[in-house]
Amino acid sequence: MVAMAGKDCVGIAADRRLGVQLTTLATDFQKVFQLNDKLFVGLAGLATDVQTLHQELQFRLGLYKLKEEREMTPQVFSHLLSQLLYEKRFGPYFIEPIVAGLDAKGKPFLSGMDLIGATMTAEDFVVSGTCTGNLHGMCESLYKPDMDPDTLFETLAQSLLSAVDRDAISGWGGVVHIITKDGVTTKELKGRQD
Amino acid sequence: MDFAFGPEPCMAIGHDILDIGSRKAQAKRQRGALGDAMSPAPLELGMPGQFDLPNVEDPARYCRTNFASVCGTGDEHQAVKFAKGTTTLAFKFNDGIIISVDSRSTMGNYISSGTVQKIIKINPFLLGTMAGGAADCSFWERNLGMECRLYELRNGRRITVAAASKLLANVMSSYRGYGLSMGTMVTGWDETGPQLYYVDDDGTRLKGRYFSVGSGSMYAYGVLDTGYKPDLTVDEAIELGTRAIYHATHRDAASGGINNLYHMTKDGWKFIHAVDVNDLHYKYAEEKKNAMAT
Repeated sequence: MVAMAGKDCVGIAADRRLGVQLTTLATDFQKVFQLNDKLFVGLAGLATDVQTLHQELQFRLGLYKLKEEREMTPQVFSHLLSQLLYEKRFGPYFIEPIVAGLDAKGKPFLSGMDLIGATMTAEDFVVSGTCTGNLHGMCESLYKPDMDPDTLFETLAQSLLSAVDRDAISGWGGVVHIITKDGVTTKELKGRQD
Repeated sequence: MDFAFGPEPCMAIGHDILDIGSRKAQAKRQRGALGDAMSPAPLELGMPGQFDLPNVEDPARYCRTNFASVCGTGDEHQAVKFAKGTTTLAFKFNDGIIISVDSRSTMGNYISSGTVQKIIKINPFLLGTMAGGAADCSFWERNLGMECRLYELRNGRRITVAAASKLLANVMSSYRGYGLSMGTMVTGWDETGPQLYYVDDDGTRLKGRYFSVGSGSMYAYGVLDTGYKPDLTVDEAIELGTRAIYHATHRDAASGGINNLYHMTKDGWKFIHAVDVNDLHYKYAEEKKNAMAT
């Protein structure tokens, strides 16, 4: 999966495969979750941990909203996720998440983490999954700063599709979410089904 | 210029520098020079020890642990992952044999190619398929082509499929334990009719009516077992072969790309089609939707 920043917008894209080694079990597996209006998290790795961590994060966000009476900003969320992962330092979740959101002022925020919570914030793009090599290459070539939402969608879609077409265990379709201050647009990608 | 290299006696840096560490170099030193860069000694195939082997105590075990070409994650510990992963199938029916394959080659998780020719044309009446290690298959089947041609020249008639498959199986037997990986089907039409043999890297040779070989073979068998009948028409048989490969490429990560299909008739093999399996996916999805709507 990959997340990219544009001008006052962010996008996050992921493939749709769920597999066990070489066998594909599902082609509609959700790995990118919307946690509030302006915040998405992408969870790449072991499927059971993807689902458990998603539920845990939803719980913590709900609790924060009740206590603080406001939405969580992406920076705070990223820190929360990092702490959650480090709590399991000696028996980790097998997840390498990416966080994409717009902060209170509408500025894009991107961060990626390893499985025990080492956070890396980026201004341009973050990648995760089995074909990070391919994704890094595609993003470096296609990324331009200050893209508008439509260009950002095209760039994300092309990066993801080209990268997963060279990885045997990724692909089988894709989904792209673009977040702007006006809302979220979600589009399904028609990818190679082999 | 002389230099000492490990426990070996001093040797000059010359054109044979690449032989350092191999048995051939050691034997050469003991025997005296056998061929040089200008006219290298001829390679005798089919006899282990004539290939350059690593100069270790048990070359077979060394080769199969470090140079194995295995499916899935069996070669994770290796620094170099060889190209493999596939689905191939062939089935005999009343009007000949259908041979249908995919075209993906993977090295670990990396898709190294989506356009591999996994059907090897040994001669106009013999086809071989490639499954397992790509290099192993293409080399030994090309070698088989050479042997078949030599047979024709020596005996004045075309080789039978049984004999051709036996030649290949014997070679595989002699290299048993060295970590070769090859699962191939030798198909042809000779004076006894259409024949289909399965030959693999441990020397197994089986005659049969239909086979599927490769990491995606289980998915192909499901479709093949359901749809197979000896009295299929040519078009139905082509459709069955295509569909079986499509399903395998959809479920198996190591199979994909293009479906190449050939039909073996009594006048030799005929190329039928090369269709992108992604296009097949959307075509079959459309057909299913239309069938459900009516």
